[in-house]
Formats: sequence, structure tokens, C-alpha cells
Amino acid sequence: MTRGGLAGRRLLVALGLAALLALAVTGLARSAGPGAHQDPVRALAAELRCPACQGESVADSRSPIAASMRQAIADQVAQGRSPEQIRRWFVDRYGPEVLARPPLRGTGLLLWAVPVVALLGAAYAARRSLRPIRTPGAPRRRRPAGRPARRPAGARPGPDEGSTPGRRPRVAWWLSAVGLAVLVAAVAVAADRLTPPAPPPPATDPAAVALRLARDLEGQQRYDAAAQMYREALRERPDDAVRLRLAFAMLRSSDPAGAERTAREVLDHTPDSPDGLLVLGLAQRTTRPGDAPRTLRRFVAVAPDHPAAGEIRRLLTS
Amino acid sequence: MSGRPRQPRWWRAGPVPTAVLLLSVGLGAAATTGHLAGAGEVRQRPAVPAPALVGTTLAGDRFDLAALRGRVVLVNVFASWCGPCRDELPLLVEAAGRWSPQGLAVVGLNLRDGPEAVRALLREADADGLTVLPDPDGTRAVDWGVRGVPETFVVDRAGRIVARQPGVVTAQWLQEHLAPLLAAA
Repeated sequence: MTRGGLAGRRLLVALGLAALLALAVTGLARSAGPGAHQDPVRALAAELRCPACQGESVADSRSPIAASMRQAIADQVAQGRSPEQIRRWFVDRYGPEVLARPPLRGTGLLLWAVPVVALLGAAYAARRSLRPIRTPGAPRRRRPAGRPARRPAGARPGPDEGSTPGRRPRVAWWLSAVGLAVLVAAVAVAADRLTPPAPPPPATDPAAVALRLARDLEGQQRYDAAAQMYREALRERPDDAVRLRLAFAMLRSSDPAGAERTAREVLDHTPDSPDGLLVLGLAQRTTRPGDAPRTLRRFVAVAPDHPAAGEIRRLLTS
Repeated sequence: MSGRPRQPRWWRAGPVPTAVLLLSVGLGAAATTGHLAGAGEVRQRPAVPAPALVGTTLAGDRFDLAALRGRVVLVNVFASWCGPCRDELPLLVEAAGRWSPQGLAVVGLNLRDGPEAVRALLREADADGLTVLPDPDGTRAVDWGVRGVPETFVVDRAGRIVARQPGVVTAQWLQEHLAPLLAAA
């Protein structure tokens, strides 16, 4: 190997290191750069872990507790408390694990120390196996067991060394280094695209919660409570579909008068609503039995293909 | 020299990488076991002064937890939209009826709920007499460090939180945590 070759290789190493460093800095800058953190409440919420969820921040979670915590943050920001004071306020109540990035201490420190130690170890191993081995006049295998002979400073490698097995680990090391560099580059470039643009946090919809609960209650045949939940939902979302569910629930909780009233409200808006006519007719069988057949006949006429139509026809003929 | 037994490959790799590897594995193991050991200790903390709890109850009365100093207070965080809370309510009503002569007060902190839904729930559970403090935006619950509903706290006669139960309480839990406090009147 010539002196020029050695200088060339040094240049290559220096360039490689510089490239790695540049990529590492770029990656760090991209991941630590200022995101959409103009809103102090959202920024603080993103730093807190939702205690009722798995791996979700208070900013992202839809759980009622997270919503309450966002409100508590907003209140305190409005009172002019500093982010540090607010953070401490939460740590006092939920413990240090509420912070998405807890202060480095104890086992947390190991997460940083172990990779550093491993990298240093790998670097040492690389240095050892990359260092040209030279035992003048003796091929590698014949060398006395134990540590390899060290080359005196400035001595050149033997003429036969380039093509011997000693070269293979070196190639492997270089391939690994290039692979690592490509990996870092890929991560640095792709990091931006991996994070989807944060969707606007959907507001918790009390009507949806009430509806879900009402349906659960219906499943448990607690129609009284279900009707109550439908009434709550109706207050948030005055909607005929909800009104019909309420009417059905009332009918089943033996409140035909209420069911009739609610069904009539629906029919005021849409006079030919099949479900409205069905509930009204069924309710009327108790409240005013004289009117029921007429309403039910109208129901069958309006919706002959309704799942309940066959049953109602049977009811009318009997 | 060639007659000497060959050293294993890992040894020839050198003592330093081997030591690094062993160290890494050791540290990893230590971190994992340490983490596992620490996981179970979240539940019971030493007694801390209960945060303030002041406001107007569902019935329109003034409520202040500090005014109940000298009594044992069971604070139950609940909501009508939470199924387990609904199931738990009869037990709390029963506890209130059973232990109030000995100085127990039960208060429900109603998290992010509508007054009508709560009233309906109380009627259904025969719990109309229960003191309910609405917490429409949930900030009172957060002040108490609530992690979810239901969650129950026991405040002793000196106004300190001496027990907390995330999730549903059982009759046995109530017995264990209330009876000693109420007996020491």
C-alpha cells in the first residue's frame, strides 16, 4: 500500500465521519425543532401523559380525565402561572410519571448510558479489528497464540496482507459503517413524513356519549334509564332519529303517553315517518285503542317493507 | 505451540467487548427488574392533606370539605355515563346509611356530567339523599389527582387522605378502610 493510498483512506474516513455528524445533527434538529407549539396550553398538555390511557398525551387523548386536565392547564395559564409551576402542580398530584419526559434519574439514565457504552465498546472492537495486523514473515495462523504482534509505529504492512483474510473484516466494517450512515440519513429524511399532521383535537361530544350509554342501557333492558339518557342527548342534539329512539325506549318502559307525545313531535316534522307512525300506533293501543288501528294501517301503507310490517299486519287482522 | 488448545472465539474477540456486552446485559436486567419491582408501589401513599373541596351541591346547598373535619369522609368520583359507577352507587348508599351514625359522610364528586342525568341516576339507585358536588369541567377531580372514574378516597377525621381506590370499591374494601377509622372515635 502506498502513502497516497493511506492519505486517501484518511480523507475518506474524515469525510465519512463528517457526513455522519452532519446527518446526526440534522436528525436531532428536525426532531427537536419547534413543532406546532404556539399554543401554551397545547404545548403543556403534550408534555403530560394521560393517566387513564396507554401512551397517549393529555393533548391527544379523548378521555374525560384528559379533557379535565386540559381545562386545568388552561385555567392555570389564564391565571398567569408559569409552565414550570403548572408542571410541578401536576407532578404533586399525579407523581413524576405524569411527565412525558421525566427528569433523568435512576433507571431512566440507563436508557442513555447503555447505548453510549455499547457504542464505545463497538468503536473499540472496530479499532482493534481494523488495525492492520503484521507479523513479519509469518502468516496469521502460524503466529504464536495469544495477542497479535504490534506493528512498530510507521512500519508498512507486509506485501501479502491486502488479499488475505485480514481484509475481510475490514470490508465488513466499512459496509456496516456505510449501512449505518444510510440508515441515519433515511431516518433524518423520513422523520418529517412519519409524523402525520396533527388533526384538530375532536371535541368530546356529550350527545354521542349519552347515546352510547343509552344504547348500552337498552341492551340491559333498563329502558327507564335509557329514556333518560336519550332525553339528555336530545337536549344536546335535537334530532328526530334520537327522538324516535327515545319514543321506543319510553314505549318499552311502559310510558305510552310519553311515547305518543314524542312520536307526534317527529310526525309534526315528517308526517310520513314510518317509525314515528309505528311508535304512535303502538302507544295508542294503550292510550286510545280506537285510534290505533288507523295509525298502524297507515304505517303498513307507508312502509310495506318495514321489518315490523309483517308483525303489524298480523296484529291488525287478529 | 500449535499443540496448545485453541481459545474460544469469544475470548479472542478481546476482554473489552466481552466486558461491555456483559455490562450492557447486566444493566438491562437491573433496569428491567428495578422497573418491575417499582410498578406495584403506586397505590397506597402516605397520608396527605386532602385538597380543598368547596362548592354548591346538586341540591343547591353549600358544601365545604373542611367543615366536615372531625368526621370520616368518603369521596367518590363518579359520573352517570360510567357503567361501573352506576353499579357501585348502591354500595355507597348502604355504607352511608350504615356508618353515618358513627361519623361517616359520603360525598359524590360528579365528573363532567349533566344535572338531569345525575338526578335520574340517583332516583334509580334510591340515592336521593347522597351529597353530590358537580364538577362540570373536571378540574376539581384533577386537583385530587383522579386518574379515572370511579375513584374513591377516604379522608380521616383530621382531613387527610388515608386511602384511595382507583376503580370500583367493594364492601370488603370499605369495611377494611372505614371501620378502623370510625371505631377510633
